[in-house]
Amino acid sequence: MNKQALVEVKNLKTYFYTEEGIVKAVDGVDYEIYPGETLGIVGESGCGKSVTSLSIMRLVESPPGRIEAGEINFQGKDLTKISEKEMRKIRGNDISMIFQEPMTSLNPVYTVGDQIIEAIMLHKDVNRKEARKQAIDMLKKVGIPLPEQRVDEYPHQLSGGMRQRVMIAMALSCDPKLLIADEPTTALDVTIQAQILELMNSLKESYGMSIMMITHDLGVIAEVSDRVAVMYAGKVVEYTDVDTLFDDPKHPYTWGLMNSIPKLDKDVDRLEAIPGSVPSPLNFPKGCKFNTRCPLAEGKCYDEEPPLEEAAAGHKVRCWRYKDLEEIKKRGERIYEDRGVQK
Amino acid sequence: MIAYIARRLLILPIILFGVSMLIFSMIMMLGPYQRLSTYINDPAQLKGAEDIDQLVSKYGLNDPWYEQYGRWIGGVLKGDFGWSESAGAPVTKAIADRFPATLELALLSLVPVIFGGIILGVLSAVHHNKALDHTIRIFAVIGWSFPSFVFGLIVLMIFYGVLGWLPPGRLSNWATEIVRSADFVSYTGMYILDGILNFNFSIVLDAIRHLIAPVITISILWWAFILRITRSNMLETLKKDYIRTARAKGLADNIVVYKHAVRNALIPVVTVAGQMVLGLAGGLVIVESIFNIRGLGQFMANAAQQLDYPGVLGGALYFGFLLILINLFVDVSYAVIDPRIRLE
Amino acid sequence: MEWQEVVKRLLQNKISLLGILIILFFIIVAVFAPWIAPPRDPDDPYLIPRAGWSIEPQPPSDEYIFGTTEGQYDIFYGIVWGTRTAFRIGLIVVGISTSIGIVLGTIAAYYGGWIDEILMRITDIFMSIPFIIATIVLVTILGQGLTNVMIALITFSWMSTARLMRSQVLSVKEDEFVQAALALGANDFRIIFRHIILNTIFPVVIQASMRMGSMVITASTLSFLGVGTPEGYADWGQMISFARNWILGVEGNPLNYWYTLIIPGVAITLFCLSWNLIGDAFRDILDPKLN
Repeated sequence: MNKQALVEVKNLKTYFYTEEGIVKAVDGVDYEIYPGETLGIVGESGCGKSVTSLSIMRLVESPPGRIEAGEINFQGKDLTKISEKEMRKIRGNDISMIFQEPMTSLNPVYTVGDQIIEAIMLHKDVNRKEARKQAIDMLKKVGIPLPEQRVDEYPHQLSGGMRQRVMIAMALSCDPKLLIADEPTTALDVTIQAQILELMNSLKESYGMSIMMITHDLGVIAEVSDRVAVMYAGKVVEYTDVDTLFDDPKHPYTWGLMNSIPKLDKDVDRLEAIPGSVPSPLNFPKGCKFNTRCPLAEGKCYDEEPPLEEAAAGHKVRCWRYKDLEEIKKRGERIYEDRGVQK
Repeated sequence: MIAYIARRLLILPIILFGVSMLIFSMIMMLGPYQRLSTYINDPAQLKGAEDIDQLVSKYGLNDPWYEQYGRWIGGVLKGDFGWSESAGAPVTKAIADRFPATLELALLSLVPVIFGGIILGVLSAVHHNKALDHTIRIFAVIGWSFPSFVFGLIVLMIFYGVLGWLPPGRLSNWATEIVRSADFVSYTGMYILDGILNFNFSIVLDAIRHLIAPVITISILWWAFILRITRSNMLETLKKDYIRTARAKGLADNIVVYKHAVRNALIPVVTVAGQMVLGLAGGLVIVESIFNIRGLGQFMANAAQQLDYPGVLGGALYFGFLLILINLFVDVSYAVIDPRIRLE
Repeated sequence: MEWQEVVKRLLQNKISLLGILIILFFIIVAVFAPWIAPPRDPDDPYLIPRAGWSIEPQPPSDEYIFGTTEGQYDIFYGIVWGTRTAFRIGLIVVGISTSIGIVLGTIAAYYGGWIDEILMRITDIFMSIPFIIATIVLVTILGQGLTNVMIALITFSWMSTARLMRSQVLSVKEDEFVQAALALGANDFRIIFRHIILNTIFPVVIQASMRMGSMVITASTLSFLGVGTPEGYADWGQMISFARNWILGVEGNPLNYWYTLIIPGVAITLFCLSWNLIGDAFRDILDPKLN
């Protein structure tokens, strides 16, 4: 891709200074988001995916958190360097964010209208009456029935799905260039999940914005993403477009994630599982951080951290042994233990 | 909200009945002769020892307890609490005379408690674990540990004894004369308000001067109490998801804190307001007797010292009923503030 | 969190360490009272000895290092033996009222329904009368004396524990662990009980620690108001009531009798402060919401 990136994250490091020690939640992450595309960021909980997004918004709780190093280039500015005042003009205006918990993400003592109007009046030069009109308009766009009535209701009067729609309406009220969605559907029912994802896809088209979709759910990634960054232990371990990732995962971790979910379209009768769990960020292993769980780990993997290297055009992977994995795949073998039989 | 208030109102008579039973059962711990005093409205009624026995049977003080309760509560409902030896007047009159002084003191005490406590609590939470937070907390824990009677006496020793600034009592002698004179209309019995209504501002200033020390003494404990609760609620609220949402909108920190957090954090503070009012009422007993303020608290303290049973019981019943009503008001205002209850 | 961890953190925290040290000091004074201030009458050590019959307090001297208060009662002796009185009041009142509160709160939450309703309304009724006023009434009726003061304090101080315990047990009952155990028809009361106790005990302990101070304050307030311990009993509140007539000093020297007020005042304030410091630090450690 030769287009100019909307957001360019370079070697971002966000650390938390806790009593127990330094938590390297994000430890040297690179990715780009292009105009009009959806970048999916996937990984298990605790891999640092939420912290990268909060770093872009500069909303990392400080103390204990701090952006340690790196650049976040957005429209010719490095967001890690600009003043808090400048940053506030970007938040909610150029870059908006929606969160995992629609039930608790809205302030219970103000009406949904008040909360949307507040955002509009903050960033646009309009009076309250006009802002209210725009808020009702936004509620209509996100598919809330009877928006003229809903605008004066309190969050607790709405269902979870409706609240997430309100959050989206609020986030889009100032025409952002980038919408960061941090697990927006995780807390919702499956049917509602699909509706919300569909809504986000269609709004992306009509607004021409980019979306950064953070999720642990590969299903969500498949549905909305154009390109994907797989994160593990504070680092990007695989980075490519969505089709390539699903057809040809090159990192043993990605491979494990994919084969641990049942697929309806493939005749697979066994599921694999990645053994163990994510290492504590206080105590990362030496060498490749996946080495405590990787069935292919050997010699070098325990000594030296692999670089994020271009394995094929537009396909980066952080693994010493991705070529060996290729061979294993060709032979049709498995690398993980069976988790059980799928029938 | 209607269901919520209706429930409160339904419980109200049960609580009132319960409190009257509680007081009554304490009365019943006394012997019939001691109890007789609650039925005497004028010491002139007692002439000799033989009269007392007559009166005991006349008032049925050896009857079964429920008959006695019925008669007692009947009298209470008619406003007949008996004769207070310590005040030298019927209990009802003694209470009515002293109520304005207490109300004035209590209302003024709420100002530093609520504003000081809430503002410092918010500041402490916003500067969590920084120097300001630590300083405020140290003062709070000292304030919380300082017994009001010790604090009050020290204030009296320094600001009256040494400096002569803050005298005890309600007014200076010259002011008392004016207040008692025919020209001065006593609208409320609260001198600050009456002074304003009579356009006599020297009375207002004199009353304020006399109230500073008792107000500080009474509020020191509750100021710390409200501060502590505000602080912990604020800390909890600042971690809420909707605060992050507000920041993500691009709002400035001040607006996030004072518009989005404070209002949520204060809702639970309202629930402890009832508890605080109870405590303030208790504090009145100490402060009024230290600073010689002729109010309900001093009345209670004197009555207790002189074993004036009708005075003590009547005062307790009066305080109890008053506070139940205040708590009802607090509960209702809680419902009004919180839309989640209001719209249920 | 385990007990050992909590204790470790309490000792690491400077504020609670200060509290613990002050309490240790008071404990030593209370335990060694007969050696620090030998009683004149070993059968009645709580009676403060008098240095004479003059009403005017005497300043600190070699013989009476803290001076004597109104009626020539020895202030040093009163402070030392008053420490024992304070611990007796605190431990007995807090111990019994907390136990009552735990039992009633657990019953209310465990059985729910009308039992809960009745117990909670009784709690409301007891809470309707201001604490100090309620205790004044009861002590007036029962008569002066330390035992009656403690009875009155216990009668009107169990309610907050009952409420706290009830809400704690209710929330633990909702816990997945307990729900699962109940769903499995577990008769293993031991496990459930253990689980409930472990999850509810800390807030109750914090509250009890804070109440140690406030009970001692209330007891001494009663003495101060003249309805507490009998005259001459070693009790800090009463020593302060002796000071009451002397706080304005003499002509030309308003601070002439400072020792009658300040010395017992410092003792009682430090005592309460130390319990509150511990309670405060304890709560910070245990309240994950605040970290």
